[in-house]
Amino acid sequence: MKLRKVLALTLAAAMTLSLAACGGSDEGAAEAPAADDTAAEETEAPAADNAADDGAEAEAPAAAASGLTYASVNLGEDYKDLTTTIKFIHHKTDREEDGTIPDLIAKFNEMYPGITVETEGITDYAEDSLLRLSAGDWGDVMFIPAIDAAELPTYFVPYGTVDEMSEYINFADQWKDAAGNCYGIGYMGNAQGVLYNKKVFADAGVTSLPKTPDEFIAALQAIKDNTDAIPLYTNYAAGWTMGGAWDGYLGAITNGDETWLNQKFIHEAEPFKDHGDGTGPYALYKILYDATAQGLIEDDYTTTDWEGCKPMINNGEIGAMVLGSWAVAQMKAAGDNPDDIGYMPFPITVNGQQYATAGPDYCYGINANASDDNKAAAMVFVKWMVEESGWCDLEGGYPISKTAPTSFVFDGVNVVNNVTSLPGEEDIMNELNSESELSFNQGGDAKVQRIVEAAATGAETYEEIMADWTAAWNAAQEECGVEVLY
Amino acid sequence: MAAQANTAGSKKGFLQWARSRRGQQIIIIVAFMIIPLVLLFTFTYLPFGEMVGFSFYKMKYVGKRTFVGWKNYASVFSRKDCFGALKLSLYYMGGSVVQLALALYLATILSFKVKGGNIFKGFMFFPYLINGIAIGFIFKFFYTRGFVFDTVLQWCGFQLDNLPYWLKDQSINNISLVGTSVWRYFGQNMVLFIGAIMSVDSELYEAAMLDGANRFEQFRYIILPSIKTIVTLNVILSITGSLSAFEPPYVITSGANGTGTYFVVMNEIAHTQQKVGLASAMAVVLLLIIFAATILQKLFFKYVFRNAEDEDFGAAKKREKQLARYAARKAGR
Repeated sequence: MKLRKVLALTLAAAMTLSLAACGGSDEGAAEAPAADDTAAEETEAPAADNAADDGAEAEAPAAAASGLTYASVNLGEDYKDLTTTIKFIHHKTDREEDGTIPDLIAKFNEMYPGITVETEGITDYAEDSLLRLSAGDWGDVMFIPAIDAAELPTYFVPYGTVDEMSEYINFADQWKDAAGNCYGIGYMGNAQGVLYNKKVFADAGVTSLPKTPDEFIAALQAIKDNTDAIPLYTNYAAGWTMGGAWDGYLGAITNGDETWLNQKFIHEAEPFKDHGDGTGPYALYKILYDATAQGLIEDDYTTTDWEGCKPMINNGEIGAMVLGSWAVAQMKAAGDNPDDIGYMPFPITVNGQQYATAGPDYCYGINANASDDNKAAAMVFVKWMVEESGWCDLEGGYPISKTAPTSFVFDGVNVVNNVTSLPGEEDIMNELNSESELSFNQGGDAKVQRIVEAAATGAETYEEIMADWTAAWNAAQEECGVEVLY
Repeated sequence: MAAQANTAGSKKGFLQWARSRRGQQIIIIVAFMIIPLVLLFTFTYLPFGEMVGFSFYKMKYVGKRTFVGWKNYASVFSRKDCFGALKLSLYYMGGSVVQLALALYLATILSFKVKGGNIFKGFMFFPYLINGIAIGFIFKFFYTRGFVFDTVLQWCGFQLDNLPYWLKDQSINNISLVGTSVWRYFGQNMVLFIGAIMSVDSELYEAAMLDGANRFEQFRYIILPSIKTIVTLNVILSITGSLSAFEPPYVITSGANGTGTYFVVMNEIAHTQQKVGLASAMAVVLLLIIFAATILQKLFFKYVFRNAEDEDFGAAKKREKQLARYAARKAGR
């Protein structure tokens, strides 16, 4: 009995000791970071204070002596003696790695040697930038992530009113608040047209760019007859290059009506009917069907390779690809013939007029909580990037600055933007897309792939597909209780 | 102690019970089982139950849900693409028969003494270790016009113009895809078979050889009956696997061009079209089909193997009868 008690006691003692030891080591472990924390706090605290002070200061004078606008900065004259360091966070990690951004900044420093620009490329930008924005320690210039327009004044400095800014840049209304101030300037614009190889078109004897579906098919046929290139590369296998690319032309490009895509489409009884004049969604997808049926696409569409198509079009093995202008830079970079890559308006003409839709890519925003010096430096930097850097053109983007030189030529094309849904009808498109399983502009790749399959195998005629789409669309309208108005 | 004695009788009763041998047993059993059971419930049955619930709603991942009763199930059965996709499973089932036959054949050969047997085993098992997505990409290039497969066939004297488009031609593209699945899984089946064959007592072979049995007879009468459990298991796994084939069509052709299996269609409906309720109903229906297929196979194998035993049993009886007759004749003489 005694022995057991002794044993129990020793055991208890041992356990207590080990517990204590555990606790001890824990404490030790905890102490170190705690010390770090305090150190960090100490270093951070003044910084935070400063920021707060600056914010307070900034708000008072910025409102009072808000001389700082995009228009007020004369590049190369103002703020030449400003010495500060600003930080720019962006999503173009590829341009950071290939030296494009450091080169641009080196050029910027030739004009403004005092302003040091630190950059940080973020891979998962859409998500991370939101976190960084709410954490507040992100820097001075960033590409504005997806936030509500109401929050813009909290985080960013206005460049001026949208009206003022429209004199200098395109798409000034992308990020605007209720008061009509412009908060974001795109680094490049994206337009919807067709990517093509100028040399292949010239070799095929196509001298003027096709403006209608018939002319386009004729041009593709000429490429097939006169060159070895694949006339139209569909990128069928990648999937997103089918629905994701072709659906992008719905709306103003196909029928010249800016309100059609987001306001009328959902209420239309026969959106896919043949208008007979080469316009509308019917004409859009028919280009793909006809090109496939007439053997004007790649031989084996099921094994197309997205990465592989880039050098192919660069080297003149492909005539055209139906992709947004964002793809231009990638195609140019993929080989030795960047100058052969061209971009043309989509070959649909409505009443003698071609249309293109365009919008800005990510937009520069300037931190509202930065110090005055940094705000000024950031404003100078953004203006220089937009007007002097030539970055937009380098990416093959639709021009942002109205004065900077550009190689993006859309002659005689009416550049428009599809207007947004009517209030209260924002969700209807999603409902119909889901219910009809056509998913326009929402990953409905299968329906466009089906066009290629049908045309290649002869399984269905184009009219049958369109009738099927119309039936699905009407059934969805009925199911969702959407009124048919047109 | 005094304080404890004062507490309610029921508590005392519980404490006594907890101290009893039976109580201790139950407490220990519950204590050990609670963690795995909670994990199993939380991560298997709860989500499954939720999914069954979803299948009665018209819903997306976000937004409001409307109860629609059996409507989703009705459309699973009325839509062409859902059950049409199950027809593709026949290709994969055909493939699994080839796969198992090949695996069994190679396993039998390799379980005897073969030069470099382990190297062969390694090579043939290797595809199973590769990630399914990577296999998809390998075969995408493998089947591309004029790439690997066509080149190899051209070495063998085929003309490129006479070769089909392995993924474009809708009459053979499913066979091409099944080929990748066979390539990937037969090695694994083979290793399972080899493991089972290893457990056969080698004295049996010697005895059979002394009796003059050749290799095929050894396989037929010694190996196959000894590994019937593992054969049954592999067949069941392969058939259920063919019903839920997903990776080859999803990665290589993204389910386009007539290669969309049931799972690929389900994925499209759930993620692109956002019809979560319908996709859940499809999943439940597939589960029931797999249950049915498994039970049918179980019954089938029970029948097949019982038959074999019956035959033996009958043979023994016959032999006994013969002996009895022989004895009777002898006695009668």
